[in-house]
Parts: sequence; C-alpha cells; structure tokens
Amino acid sequence: MIEYCVLALLRDGERYGFELVRTLSEVPGMVTSEGTLYPLLSRLRRAGVVETSWRESPSGPPRRYYHLTASGRAVLEAFSGEWASFRDAVDHFLEQEKNA
Amino acid sequence: MNAATLHPLARDYLKRLKKAAANLPRARRKELIEEIESHLSEALPAGASETEARNVLERLGEPAEIVAEAGAGQALAPRAGLNEWLAIPFLLIGGVIIPVLGWFIGVVLLWSSRIWTVRDKLIGTLVIPAGLATTVFLLLGVGTVSGESCSSKTVTTVGSRTVKTLSANSDCVTSGGGANYLAIALAVLLVLLPVFTSIYLGRRLTRTNTAE
Repeated sequence: MIEYCVLALLRDGERYGFELVRTLSEVPGMVTSEGTLYPLLSRLRRAGVVETSWRESPSGPPRRYYHLTASGRAVLEAFSGEWASFRDAVDHFLEQEKNA
Repeated sequence: MNAATLHPLARDYLKRLKKAAANLPRARRKELIEEIESHLSEALPAGASETEARNVLERLGEPAEIVAEAGAGQALAPRAGLNEWLAIPFLLIGGVIIPVLGWFIGVVLLWSSRIWTVRDKLIGTLVIPAGLATTVFLLLGVGTVSGESCSSKTVTTVGSRTVKTLSANSDCVTSGGGANYLAIALAVLLVLLPVFTSIYLGRRLTRTNTAE
C-alpha cells in the first residue's frame, strides 16, 4: 500500500529520499520504521516505476531525487481507479453494519 | 559524503548497519548505506543532543530490520563460507602436510560446495591431482632416480674397468645437464599450475558476491 503512497507523492514532481520518508512517517499509522522505506524505494526503482538522479543540495551532501516514470504514472492511475471502487465497496458494508 | 561530519551515534549506527548488510548483493548494499547515511546527515546535525540523536535513530529502526526489508523479495545468493576458503589451501598444500588425506579433504570440501560449478570443481580436482604434493613428490622422485642411475653406473664401471669410469661419469654429467632444463621447465609448470588453480577458485568465490 505504501508503494502507491510514494507514487502519489511523486505525482506532482520529484522529491528526495529523506523528504519522502519524513512525509510518509508523519502520517500516523503509516510507517513503523523510517529505515525500511529506503529498501522500498530501491524496489520501486528496480521495478522501473521511479527513476533517480543525484543533485547537489543547497546545504550538505548531494541528494538522490526520485521521479515517476511513464510506467509509474500508469500504475498510479490504474491503482487510483481500483482503490476508489474498493473503498466504496468496503464503505458500503461498513455503513450497512452501522445502520443495522 | 563525509562520515566525519556525522553525529557520533549516527556513525556508530552506520557501522552496525554495514555489518548487518554484509550478506546483501554489493550494489544493493551500497545503495542502502548511501541512503541511510544521507538520511542521517539530513536528520541529525553533528551538534545535535544525545536525546535528539536517539530519537532520530529510533524512528529509523533497527539495522537488522532494514536489512531484512532490503533482502526481501529475492533469494540471497549463496555466499562463500569457511568450507570454500578451507578447500583451496587443502587442495593446494593439504597433500604436502598430510599425505593423500590432506588433498582428499580438499576434494570433499570442493565438491560439497554450492558455489563452484562442475567445471570449477573439475579444474580444482584435475589441475593437478594432489596439488603441490604431486610437484614435491615428482621433483624428489626425479632427483633420486637420476642420482641412483648415476651412482649405479659408477659402481658397475668401477667393478669392471677403471678406464670406463671416467667416460661413464662424464656421460652421466652431460645427460644430467641436458635433462636439467627440461626438469626446471617441468618443475616451474608443476608449481605454477596448482597455484593458478587456487587463484582461479578464489576468484570464482569473490565473483559470485558482486552478482545482483
């Protein structure tokens, strides 16, 4: 699930690893340990849905920036559609329970 | 990236991570360590307090947990262990130290390895059987045989006629001198071949670790 959140965070432009990790970990219940997100980013890169490039940072060491590839964008769009209908379906049953 | 500018606790953490990541494929290990190092230098200025540092490291998680995540989704390639690194010296000089049995231990270790291919194992076994023990044995053997033939000639000639002793002796010296070049070339070859085989087997072990 977090994979898709990463892709969604990259929809509007590139971000560097630390930025992605901190953004995700600030949402409660999303991430248990920040460190495990880096292997996840590496998997996304090897799957070809993101690409990386090194860029100098205004302060400190160079940063590795991640951006979506065309295939990453397609995966994100497909997931958005599926997720919407899945969420509606689950909501349907949850609401029924509440009404009963 | 300069590790010296990191917080001491961050440096210690990186050291533990590197150790825990030792079994990852080289490229993946490098990538992971780069990212975590970069994370630490962003999250933890060198002058941060110990409480701050502990908080950052706690959020990051245990090195073992991160490495497990990095190794997930791929079967770890078998890595050379003690058996492989013992097999090489046993093959090379085992037979010299413990005649026959020493080399035989090397062969068992070689063939029980999951890293070397059958081709590697055949080379390891056949070039040269018993390793340097064969070299030592042949060189000592050649030395003794030529020595004996000379002395026996001398003895027989001494027994029959004193005049022929000289000629027989000179024959012995000249034939021995001609054979020397061949013997030296053979000796060099007999020493180099098993050594090359050992180097080859060692290289095959380190090569598998770089594969991703």
